[in-house]
Amino acid sequence: MKRVLSAVLMIALATSLFVSCGGGAQGAEFIMNNGAEPATLDPSNISGVPEHHIYMALFDGLVTYDPKTSLAAPGVAESWSTSADGLTVTFKLRKSTWSDGTPITAQTVVDSWLRTLHPDTAAEYAYMVNMVVKGAEAYNTGGGAASDVAIRALDDYTFQVDLLGPMPYAVDMMAHYAFAILPMHVIAEKGTEWIKPENMVSNGAFVLQEWKPQESLTVVKNTKYWDAKNVKLSKITFLPIEDQLTAYNKFKAGEIDWASGVPLDLIDEVKLRPDYQGNPQVATYYYIFNMTREPFKDVRVRKALTMALDMQELVDKVLKGGQIPANGLVPAMAGYTPVDGNPFNPEEAKRLLADAGYPNGKGFPETTLLYNTNEGHKKIAEWAQESWKQNLGITTISLDNKEWGTFLDIRQNLHDFDFCRAGWVGDYLDPNTFLDMFLANSGLNDGLYNSPAYDELVRLAATQSGAERMESLRQAETIMITDDQHVIPFYHYVNQDLIDLSKWDGWYPNPLGSHPWKYIAPKE
Amino acid sequence: MTRFIVRRLLSTIPTLFVIITLSFFLIRMAPGGPFAREKKVPPEILQNLLKKYHMDEPLPQQYFRYLGDVLRFDLGPSFKYKDQTVNDLLGTTFPVSLTLGVMALAVATFLGVLVGIISALKQNKWQDYAAMSVAVLGISIPLFVVGPVLMLVFALILDWLPTSGWIGSRAGWATVVMPVMTLMLPPFAYIARMSRGSIIEVIRSDYVRTARAKGLKENVVITKHVLKGALLPVVTYLGPAFAGIVTGSVVVERIFDIPGIGKIFVQSAFNRDYTVIMGDVIVYSLILISANFIVDVLYGILDPRITYK
Amino acid sequence: MPISTKTKDNAVNEFNQYVKPVSLWADAWKRLRRNKMALMGMWIVGIYIFITFFAGLLPFFSYTDQELMHANLPPSFKPAGIVTLERLEMRKLELESAIAQTNREDLKTDLTRILLEAEQLKTEIDSNPVHKRVYILGTDSLGRDMLARTIYGGQISILIGLIGTLTAGLIGIVLGAMGGYFGGWFDNLLGRFVDIMYSLPYMLIVIIIMAMIETTNPTTKVFVLFIAIAMISWLTISRVVRGQVISIKNSEFVEAARSMGASSPRIIFRHLLPNTLTIIIVYSTLSFPSFIMNESFLSFLGLGVSAPMASWGTLVSDGVQSMQLYPWRLLVPGAAMTIFLFAMNFMGDGLRDALDPQSKNRT
Repeated sequence: MKRVLSAVLMIALATSLFVSCGGGAQGAEFIMNNGAEPATLDPSNISGVPEHHIYMALFDGLVTYDPKTSLAAPGVAESWSTSADGLTVTFKLRKSTWSDGTPITAQTVVDSWLRTLHPDTAAEYAYMVNMVVKGAEAYNTGGGAASDVAIRALDDYTFQVDLLGPMPYAVDMMAHYAFAILPMHVIAEKGTEWIKPENMVSNGAFVLQEWKPQESLTVVKNTKYWDAKNVKLSKITFLPIEDQLTAYNKFKAGEIDWASGVPLDLIDEVKLRPDYQGNPQVATYYYIFNMTREPFKDVRVRKALTMALDMQELVDKVLKGGQIPANGLVPAMAGYTPVDGNPFNPEEAKRLLADAGYPNGKGFPETTLLYNTNEGHKKIAEWAQESWKQNLGITTISLDNKEWGTFLDIRQNLHDFDFCRAGWVGDYLDPNTFLDMFLANSGLNDGLYNSPAYDELVRLAATQSGAERMESLRQAETIMITDDQHVIPFYHYVNQDLIDLSKWDGWYPNPLGSHPWKYIAPKE
Repeated sequence: MTRFIVRRLLSTIPTLFVIITLSFFLIRMAPGGPFAREKKVPPEILQNLLKKYHMDEPLPQQYFRYLGDVLRFDLGPSFKYKDQTVNDLLGTTFPVSLTLGVMALAVATFLGVLVGIISALKQNKWQDYAAMSVAVLGISIPLFVVGPVLMLVFALILDWLPTSGWIGSRAGWATVVMPVMTLMLPPFAYIARMSRGSIIEVIRSDYVRTARAKGLKENVVITKHVLKGALLPVVTYLGPAFAGIVTGSVVVERIFDIPGIGKIFVQSAFNRDYTVIMGDVIVYSLILISANFIVDVLYGILDPRITYK
Repeated sequence: MPISTKTKDNAVNEFNQYVKPVSLWADAWKRLRRNKMALMGMWIVGIYIFITFFAGLLPFFSYTDQELMHANLPPSFKPAGIVTLERLEMRKLELESAIAQTNREDLKTDLTRILLEAEQLKTEIDSNPVHKRVYILGTDSLGRDMLARTIYGGQISILIGLIGTLTAGLIGIVLGAMGGYFGGWFDNLLGRFVDIMYSLPYMLIVIIIMAMIETTNPTTKVFVLFIAIAMISWLTISRVVRGQVISIKNSEFVEAARSMGASSPRIIFRHLLPNTLTIIIVYSTLSFPSFIMNESFLSFLGLGVSAPMASWGTLVSDGVQSMQLYPWRLLVPGAAMTIFLFAMNFMGDGLRDALDPQSKNRT
């Protein structure tokens, strides 16, 4: 019986090998696990990382991501200049075309951005455009006219945009898909069907070949791409495997070339692999205190809980993935030194807690720590709960997990929590992306933080530039973290990838985890 | 019999209507919504989104709009997979789960009944204990354990099978082996245990004794008389089991990366993708109602003692 | 159909089926005692229940105490300090060979840290009582005793299995039998109701119930879990019982009972149900594991016991993720659960044989 079974299996295997030897294409093929099925291919409607990976293969914006720094690199625009006051950026476009040969002009860019901003498009990431482009928010929210959006085509190959302030990060932000350039001539003709493989045209290094929903998405080299001679891959296949263990096994079996994400429980084994890549990310894991709840109204309690946690221990012994222990919310960035915060100090923590009226945790009210269901979040919460018990004597903190939708509703809309888990991934390389959400009137201020001094500094920074601006932001963060301890920063995330760099060139560690496909090439 | 069939078919319509109506209003009561994100969407943009999907209208109006669409077999757009309609989504994923489910259930029924017969005939002998232990083991070990273990053994250690994927991928039909092996276990266990139990009971019944007394050969007695009477509980179980299994198993589909409807089922609930949830509910209830209906008809065929008045 | 073996003096019912209730149970007990497998099953189930529910009184470690130094230790009868040293030594070799291969900085940092840890451990291995602990079934990733976690994990799992089986029994069997017996509009209505219950999006309904009943409190979390399990536990069994009842309700013995003026409840409970017992017991024992698994799914939504307490289902699903590296984290709770389920099945089989009206008074 066993022999029969293995014979059958061998035949099946042989056939499959035979079939796979069939289609011989020139250039290298690359298979990636994208982690999820793309929600959409329409850049105006994108809102996630898997879609971002595909976007980078299919489209070039005015600027693209530099593979090493994540800053702006030339795309459809070959150069750009910012006016002396920092308020106007002028892009010089190269003569490039869509994959069907239609030229891309400055007017295409204007029309594309206006489409993303149009209320009927309902683009989630339109807010990125609203943040920097003058007149964008009014148009996007239905109050303003398209003509008031301060973007214009000076001639066929010159595009100009007015910014809301002297924002040094504005051009870098424009590599984001919210600022995509779209094939307006196809959209006009095909409507929502334009992203179907038979209709879609694009201007990136690759064009869509096939899309089997939930199964795979394949792109092939775009011969009309302006930089086609430097594109080394002939074909990329994106798989939507959600299960990290499956993806890891698939990588081990040699069935995929790049797995983004690794199974956290196997980190001890994964880390030893020569093809493991762990790189710091512009992202922070933290707990938010609800500022309207006892006992967290008292800053001493907030500080005590923070200082009782040894983040170095968490990172070394629990997470083990090379994460960076955090005392502040904003990770180190060019021109910005992280704030000091209130580092691990159990003695001081005990003293503060006693001052607040809970010596050795006695009388500490029943409080609940809320997190969304996830193996990693649970582990961290259990570790924190035990640390508070050991270091402060608090035994009345219980843990509560909820599934994602319920969790978000409780945290964002009802604010019905004592303290809860949160994570923030920077959309662009600037401290501002971490700080403006704690403004008293921000829709993202889930813990209801309210500090006029903080608000004033963040607003002031928006009118400043250079080192002066960074200083204002740093002062603001000092108020929020070191003085007020509104959140407990835990650590800065790392991007964990599996890709064999002795086989592949052009894949570099970078802070946003953006790996543009045009640079990836097999090693000679 | 005919009257019974007509009456049952007619009662399907109000049942479906109740299911659709209840589900429609229930799912809107769940906390959260389709556009909730860790980075909360600004209220103005949320307004744009709601308007785009007619979700800014009063609920009753949305309900009647939906009912009208359903009558035209249009299940609406997906809020999560924005490029696809619910019809597209279910149309591509359901056949996959159906294929997998039918294969698994066929294997499970065949092996289950076979093992059940052997156990019953060798009652309390070692064959019986061995077979029943396998069955209990099959149901005690959760699928999310069986799947990764199979994958570890057959794909990584022995390297006989591809780790995951589906028929359309390079590995072709070899991809179905492990998912079928995993998915068949619980129904196999149920069928084996239930058929053993009822066969033992039927063997002792008068009509089997009569058949034996008439001098019929043992295998004729087993196939013609015993099995026919003993399969009743198995058939009953197969109704809901069929509906459950062909609408996909999220566990198996996730582990083996299969583009089936089971993943959509669970994800849509987590994403609050209202239209997709409704589509799932309709597909599932249609299959369930038909399966249970067929089971009821089969009763009459399998067991002459049952009559429908 | 039931052959009444008439015993000489015992009172019998209208057609000699039942002897006095006392002797029915006594008789069943007599047969059960003779069934070795069933007895063993009962003993195992009994021991499990005793240990899990009286765990607090027994000398086990706490299931919450973390000793990060002792994380991921394999099962061993040696003191934890020694096992930890062995693990650190192994890790050192792994890291050294990986460093030789890749020369990566992060691995070098790890190596330095591990050497330091080992040094420190050597100095305190005899003085610190913590290192004298023995984890016979190993530890998890936070250095908690797997034995204690598995034992406490059994509390919610066993309870939920029992509750599920009980509600399935009470609601499902009674409704199913009534539907099958009365037939007509009642059966039709019941059948459609079951169809509707099956079809409604279960997960969202649970989420809605959770939103309506405040579930931050640990007690209500468990209570809502019971409701959620009870809600669906009875559906399939009601259909199975209904099918069985339909097939035997026109049998001679039922006709006989009816002609002698027995009431409907009497016919259902005394004649029909005992004859469907085989399937009910087989089905119930098989459903037990599905309730345990359902609990681990519902705990994903936020129901049931809160971390750091675990259930068998959550322990097993945690263990799967790391089975390649730390197989005991899957095998310990997995084996505990499987042994219990086996025992339940043997007990179920024994009960079935003992209570089977057809084997009554047989030996």
